[in-house]
Amino acid sequence: MNANFFDNWTNQLRKGVLELCILNDIRNRKMYGYEIVSRMRKTEGLIISEGAIYPILSRLKRQGLVDTFIMESPDGPARKHYKLTEQGEEMIAQMNAYWQAISGAMNSIEKG
Amino acid sequence: MITLSESAKKSLEDYLRQARAYLRGSKSVDADEVEQNIAEHIENELEGAAEPVSRDVLDAVLKKLGRPQQWVPEEELPWWWRIIFRLRSGPEDWRLAYISLALLVAGILTLPYAPIGIVLILAGFLASRAAVAEVGNAEELKAQKWLLYPSLIIVYIFVLLTLLTWPLLFIPLAGEYEHTMIESNSRFDNEIDYWIVAASVIVAGLGLWWSILAAAVLKPRKLLRVIFNPFAERLRSKWAIRLLLIGLAMLIISAGTGIVYYKGLI
Repeated sequence: MNANFFDNWTNQLRKGVLELCILNDIRNRKMYGYEIVSRMRKTEGLIISEGAIYPILSRLKRQGLVDTFIMESPDGPARKHYKLTEQGEEMIAQMNAYWQAISGAMNSIEKG
Repeated sequence: MITLSESAKKSLEDYLRQARAYLRGSKSVDADEVEQNIAEHIENELEGAAEPVSRDVLDAVLKKLGRPQQWVPEEELPWWWRIIFRLRSGPEDWRLAYISLALLVAGILTLPYAPIGIVLILAGFLASRAAVAEVGNAEELKAQKWLLYPSLIIVYIFVLLTLLTWPLLFIPLAGEYEHTMIESNSRFDNEIDYWIVAASVIVAGLGLWWSILAAAVLKPRKLLRVIFNPFAERLRSKWAIRLLLIGLAMLIISAGTGIVYYKGLI
């Protein structure tokens, strides 16, 4: 019962946090899909199913927060890279500010 | 381009077909783009693997990618698509739940053509029982209950009513012997005399049956659980005791009335 609750809770939390992580990662550096997955998988517990990253990228693109462009690679085929759009930049700034506020509030609640 | 073994190729095709089917149902993603990303991901993961890549190696990559069902939130899919998807590749309990409801509806609609309707309702009942068995604990059934329980309830009500009332089938039999009994038994002057005694015997028989039934289900609850799963858990011993008391009261009162009336006819 408690394990179930924890699973549901982490699932819900992960959904939102994953988008925040992806946007922040792309903000710092233009990356291709597989590269994003490889970086995300390093954070334990962040992704349960690696394939879930790609629909998120597609959704972010449809929402105009990220864009794609093809970039030649010196050691392989040309790859589709992701970058933040102007709208994405504004959104991530808002999201980060919200995250800071929430985590700050969470810390003070936890300390009592 | 990585070379795959035949079985790995088939496994990949199945996986991509499933992913495509699921992603096409979502309005928020570009299915072709995601599919292309997934294909690239697999190529990257298999880079350096011994070729042709075996199915085991590929399946390990696919396992990490996860089931396509996990990729898109279900709420994003249109309702009709969710039904089709659950029927095609959804978990067994959902697939059986939809099949069960569809069979019940088809059974009710074809009920005027008796054998077909009854067979369909029974098939719906079996699909529901299979879905309940698949889940194991009925408490875990959430929205599926609305799809599964109608088939179960209809059949259980029929079984329960049959179990409780089958002795009443003797009423037409008593009707058949009415004239023979009146003619051969000098104590019956008219139909009323006969029917009072016959009704007393039948009600006493019903009471006796209820008493036996109640006594039988009072202890060996396992049988009840098997027959009326998943509702048997809600049955309480006090109900069996009440049925036993009612049955005994009916037996005593009706048998007494019958005997007294029959003797009084002399």
